[in-house]
Amino acid sequence: MELKIKIICFIALLVSPIGAVKEFSEFHEELYIRPTSSGHVNTFFQFTTRWHYGDRENLHNTQLIPRPIAETLLLYDVKELHIGLTQGLWRYETFGYPVVDSAPGAEVRAWFAAENLTSADVDDQWTKLASTFSGILCASLNFIDKTNSVEPKYSFRPTFATGSKVNVPQFVRYATLPREIVCTENLTPWKKLLPCNSKQSFASLLNSGYVHNTNYHSLGMKMRTICESHNTNCILEFTETANMVYDPKLLGANGDFSLRRLFGQGLNGHCALAKSSKIYVNLDDQSYDLTPLPMYNTTSKRGGSTSTFGVYDIQRLDGDKLFNIAWIKSKNNKPSILLTPPPPLYAHRYILGHGQERGQIVTQITNKHYHALPIVFQENIPWFVPSYMHTLKLIVQPSNGVEYQIQPRVMHYIPGVQRVRPYHLELLFEIPAMSTVQISFDFDYIFLKWLEYPPDANHGHYLGSAIITTQLPIGRNYTAIPIDKHLFVDSFNATRSSYFLEIRTESLILSLPTPDFSMPYNVICLACTVVALAFGPIHSVATKRIVIEQKDGQPQSLKGKVLQKLFRRKQNNAGNSTKEVEQHEKLLFGQAAADISIRKN
Amino acid sequence: MRISRQTLLLLSMLFCIYTQIAGQEQNNQLPEKYVESVQRSTHTNNWAVLVDASRFWFNYRHVANVLSIYRSVKRLGIPDSQIILMLADDMACNARNPRPGQVYNNAKQHINVYGDDVEVDYRGYEVTVENFVRLLTGRTQNGTARSKKLLTDAGSNVLIYLTGHGGDGFLKFQDSEEITSQELADAVEQMWEKKRYNELFFMVDTCQAASLYEKFTSPNVLAVASSLVGEDSLSHHVDQSIGVYMIDRYTYYALEFLERVQPNSKKSMGEFLQVCPKRVCISTVGVRKDLYRRDPNKVPITDFFGSIRPTQISTGRINITLEDEEDFINAAIAAEEEAAQRSTFKVEFPSQFPTELFK
Repeated sequence: MELKIKIICFIALLVSPIGAVKEFSEFHEELYIRPTSSGHVNTFFQFTTRWHYGDRENLHNTQLIPRPIAETLLLYDVKELHIGLTQGLWRYETFGYPVVDSAPGAEVRAWFAAENLTSADVDDQWTKLASTFSGILCASLNFIDKTNSVEPKYSFRPTFATGSKVNVPQFVRYATLPREIVCTENLTPWKKLLPCNSKQSFASLLNSGYVHNTNYHSLGMKMRTICESHNTNCILEFTETANMVYDPKLLGANGDFSLRRLFGQGLNGHCALAKSSKIYVNLDDQSYDLTPLPMYNTTSKRGGSTSTFGVYDIQRLDGDKLFNIAWIKSKNNKPSILLTPPPPLYAHRYILGHGQERGQIVTQITNKHYHALPIVFQENIPWFVPSYMHTLKLIVQPSNGVEYQIQPRVMHYIPGVQRVRPYHLELLFEIPAMSTVQISFDFDYIFLKWLEYPPDANHGHYLGSAIITTQLPIGRNYTAIPIDKHLFVDSFNATRSSYFLEIRTESLILSLPTPDFSMPYNVICLACTVVALAFGPIHSVATKRIVIEQKDGQPQSLKGKVLQKLFRRKQNNAGNSTKEVEQHEKLLFGQAAADISIRKN
Repeated sequence: MRISRQTLLLLSMLFCIYTQIAGQEQNNQLPEKYVESVQRSTHTNNWAVLVDASRFWFNYRHVANVLSIYRSVKRLGIPDSQIILMLADDMACNARNPRPGQVYNNAKQHINVYGDDVEVDYRGYEVTVENFVRLLTGRTQNGTARSKKLLTDAGSNVLIYLTGHGGDGFLKFQDSEEITSQELADAVEQMWEKKRYNELFFMVDTCQAASLYEKFTSPNVLAVASSLVGEDSLSHHVDQSIGVYMIDRYTYYALEFLERVQPNSKKSMGEFLQVCPKRVCISTVGVRKDLYRRDPNKVPITDFFGSIRPTQISTGRINITLEDEEDFINAAIAAEEEAAQRSTFKVEFPSQFPTELFK
């Protein structure tokens, strides 16, 4: 008992200063739920930790921020990091724009900045950083290296701030692993980075069985530093996001849904360390009745569009009961189709051509807005897809009118080198109002080296998605968080002069010609057969005794020979007309007229 | 009467000889203390390397095998940081799996061996012979994440479990390469030379599994295989809803046994080695004990499958109060007030879009 008291005293002592310092690292949990026009339900979790750590040496003592994240900042010159692990396809036309866009498979993007940093240092740090996070997130990110990473020039701009007056060299690296699968083994370590772990609060809603049966699910991680002056007085922002799109029809119950039906259980309270724990429900689709009703409603006007959100403050809930929200189709409303206009910009990508010699990659970007939009288009083509940039064509297909070709304003192209670096293409052009731009270029199918084929070579090889960035003048369907803010709630009423948008195309699968993998086996079999066939006769000639039968009275005429052959067997059986003589081998060659037969000895 | 006397004489003589031999035997035995000290476990930590070497959906059973062992060692106390799990393919989130995120050991869905809390260290294309041998011998490439290293020492009891498709003297990895029994034996020998294990339990469930431990020469290795050379290891049953075999026989019965083991249980390795008799396994389970100095019947199963460490409880008091407790707290509060003043500052972010190029 005495010991117990002692321990409690000790904990209290340790907690008191930490509790006070807690003010400078704050944790927020948010859940955003929106029924989409297609009848799907988009759910978005965001866990934000913001830590004013001040000077660099304070990174050794972490509180709410997970230790590996702080140590990453100590080890590498990374200032901003985005990791996405996604399965499924985000359908822009029906889902609208996601809060955080992510490419299918794994995607990593990082900014490095430090004095005297060179590109070679960054290459080294980049592979090590990917390898570190491969261990943290149980993903195969260690396959990221120079051969599949690019350095985008126009697509990405830093969202970190060094605060340094001097011009510190900055480097960006980007890579995708479109083949990467996302499963519980990624969700588990991702949840373990949260301060309240996985059994409490919003994270308890992320149960593997209910995350992986969705139409689309994406785990995200974002980290950035904001410094007042160079490397001193800094803030570290660490955001973990999970985005899932459910199909309520598959969940049964006539399109009605609830937290329990979506996530398998109700919400068991909030994280005690969180400064805010809120659920935001989009109320634009009025065909649902909510029970219980939101605690309060809030309206967000952004970029010319208005949305209403119902807010549930989980910290104000009391009682031990699991909290549940149900969306029930209104009885009095006629079954209505929500007339959400499609988002202003979306894109698709295909592989054209037939055979296994030449092909064409085509990307179609559609602008549904009534103004021209500036576009930055980025392609990251693996080294095993030799592309021909002289065949690059940008064709505008207006919704009414004749199609015509345009030239990009700026083109940044780094040709790939086999086994060394990928093909990297960035195009800047303007997409006219109400039209589609088709970007196409040709490529060759090539054979790889024997050992470069994966064990399932016939499955095909993946090409990561292209990234399209633009600046929208309107905020319709737009939910991204403004760059100077960090919470989802900060996107409410965040009217700006323009809205930076990032969208991604589908990833592609390419059936490269595969060699006959059983060829070595066949060669061995064939060679062995040939050797066996050659060896057999030589062996028997060398080891067997030759018996020469000499016959008397050989007939000289053809008729006589034939007759003799026919009747020889009978004569042999009778055994009185032939005389067997054993002779030496050398004699064989001298006896031209001798009839030779071999016997096993 | 005469006959009976003779018999009596003979019997008494036999008895004399017997007692003599028995006495001699007693004298020849090792001192009890020594036997006990050999029998006593000397390990300080436990590690597990669990490998599924085969890819493709029809090899679902191999993933179920390896996850069964993973589940057991994790339940018995080996932390995730000391389990290296290698899965060559993803079955849980495979598009063919009607129950996403779940892998079962049984068509009746008794145990979800994949669970809700799993960490796979090597997956997909990472599962190669090279990576496996590098892992065992500790020769991982520079920059490898900590969770992908086998950080064992001379006090580690290591459990190595392999499953996949094998033949006489080899085990296939991902249908594209194979590890031979000689390579395996060399890797274990190198582990011993580098003092990377205290005792090693090698367990393999594949066809002709016994051929894989034949070349071992390193000490303190106990090995068990699901089938002898020339024998096939067989699968247990098929689940019609997924269309493939669920699990292999040997591991199925091993899991059944391990499910009854608790961290404090008295079950021994000897019992574990007899977990699958021939009438249920169909193949003959092979055991190699000649390199192992302890009697498996006296080795607790938790020496390899759990992580039980001898703990000493001290009842003495330790004074851990800081001398300048108040100063410490005041300094912390002051520092934080100062930081509060510095925490609000203005930052300018660069424009996110190259608008200047479109003018």
